[in-house]
Amino acid sequence: MNTHDYAKPEEYGLADLLCCAASREVQDNEIVFAGTGLPMVAIMLAQKTHAPNLKLIFEAGTLDGRPPEIPTSVGDARCEMGASRSSGLYDAFSIAQRGYVDLGFLGGAEVDEYGNVNTTVIGDYLAPELRLTGSGGNPDINSFAKRTVFIMVHEKRRFTKNVSYITSPGWRVKKWPGGEFVHRRELYGTAYRGGPSAIISTAGVFRFDEETGKIYLDTCHPGMTPEEIQELCNFPLDISRVNGLTAPPTREELHLIHDVLDPDEIFIPKTKR
Amino acid sequence: MNSKRITIQQAAEIIQDGSSLTFSGFTIWRRPMAIVFELIRQHRRHLHLIEVNGGPHTEFLVGAGCVDIWESCWVGHELYGKYGANLSRRVGRKEIIVEDYSHAEMMFRMAAAASGAPYGVTQTSLGTDIHNPEYDMLGKAGLRDGKRIAKHKYKFVEDPFFGAGSQVLVPAPKIDIAILCVQQVGEEGTVRVNGQYYSDPEAARAADITIVMAEEIVPEEYLRRNADQNTIATFEVNHILECPFGAHPTGMFGRYDVDGAFLKDFYGKTRTQEGFDAFADEWIFGHDHMSYLEKLGWSRMLGLKANTALNYSVRPKKGA
Repeated sequence: MNTHDYAKPEEYGLADLLCCAASREVQDNEIVFAGTGLPMVAIMLAQKTHAPNLKLIFEAGTLDGRPPEIPTSVGDARCEMGASRSSGLYDAFSIAQRGYVDLGFLGGAEVDEYGNVNTTVIGDYLAPELRLTGSGGNPDINSFAKRTVFIMVHEKRRFTKNVSYITSPGWRVKKWPGGEFVHRRELYGTAYRGGPSAIISTAGVFRFDEETGKIYLDTCHPGMTPEEIQELCNFPLDISRVNGLTAPPTREELHLIHDVLDPDEIFIPKTKR
Repeated sequence: MNSKRITIQQAAEIIQDGSSLTFSGFTIWRRPMAIVFELIRQHRRHLHLIEVNGGPHTEFLVGAGCVDIWESCWVGHELYGKYGANLSRRVGRKEIIVEDYSHAEMMFRMAAAASGAPYGVTQTSLGTDIHNPEYDMLGKAGLRDGKRIAKHKYKFVEDPFFGAGSQVLVPAPKIDIAILCVQQVGEEGTVRVNGQYYSDPEAARAADITIVMAEEIVPEEYLRRNADQNTIATFEVNHILECPFGAHPTGMFGRYDVDGAFLKDFYGKTRTQEGFDAFADEWIFGHDHMSYLEKLGWSRMLGLKANTALNYSVRPKKGA
């Protein structure tokens, strides 16, 4: 990446920053499993920049696709363009459970300090304030990928001590029938491959300590301080390992996002350039 | 040979009050909407939907009060509606029983049913509230009879063969009827799905009765020239019918795109029951499939028509 080509603050928006930060989590040649929306734009951006050989899997059933433009969902006809194989969900989830997937890209409504994510209900499960979409493939990808990256809106109520419902497993998870929290390694046995590796929120980039399973702040987005970000979390946030600011998008990345991948602004609004 | 051909009205009549149903497709793609609308016109009640994932068809059936039980993992309209507003409303009022599984669990359950096994085995979702015993909603409702509904939501076992740790057994669902919506079916029932086949082959095999609604019925001989391209065999299909644009407002690979504007309108207007009832009065009641298409109009349908080289339409602005 040409670091001298970083865009100036007035040239990009927050969604651009999130998308580029997420894209940089991908390494070339990895097998990547992504959900609809910003995660999709992020991996396709990686495919068009530093990771041309990444293998893209969508859970509706396309394997190693090379869509020329952004699909509107993982079931979209555009997912099939240039694919190695078009199949179905049994294949996609078998591939994940078999251990092929290096990196999963997901979203969520709430997250706790161990990376447990909720996409099912807000409030009491038995008398919900709001029923959300439900799990979809979130827990499945998060169970089996070596790393998962979450892209989330940062609000204090969303970064919470206890999520309303654990839809997707983080580093410390519930051991049923008792429900006591244990390290996920203890439950997953030979299927253990890793867990959430990053959360890219609208405030900063967070990572996890694999042994303690706890979240810590890695970089602050431009304009945010570690103390301000701590204030946006409903749990004590480790800010001792902060590693400066999140790198801004490059002009090339902005061109790819807005002129090539998402010209209709389906997922990422344009910032005047 | 007896003809398998039926009409949309007959297809809906095969589905009884209280039937368990599953559908073809994925979220907003290849859903058998024309039959779903007819079920609503016929006021079908107490349906038990068992779906690998839900979508607009779920929201229509739930909004119309046709559904008592929904077992699945996801419902919404992708980028055209944030969540399933009708399901959310009825869950809040305790008018519907929702049993949550993960997407892979639902797929592996369907595959177990399709292979005649009583359960599937997986390690997905370990440690989540999907396995919280307090959240076994069919159990709480006293409906786990061990006949139509499994005695348990799931069971944990330690791998007895290789010591691979905790495994989750998930029950095969008992499905009365699968309703599929595909591009082509032959006179004898051979199904050819173009594009991703999602969980259609497993759904067809899992159900006791499979109804296939196709964009076109084609000669068997044509499909049998390239059997490697076919998806489902004749004897797995009980009834067939031809219904062009039968998936609208969902999309059909290679034929037409998702009608995003229609779904956005549906999501926006049906966040209240009154809104749903008005929408159903406008688009479902008093119509048949042909008058529904006439109401939509030529320009709208031609705008959705897929380019045959690309398999999708390049006309509508995506995101509607």
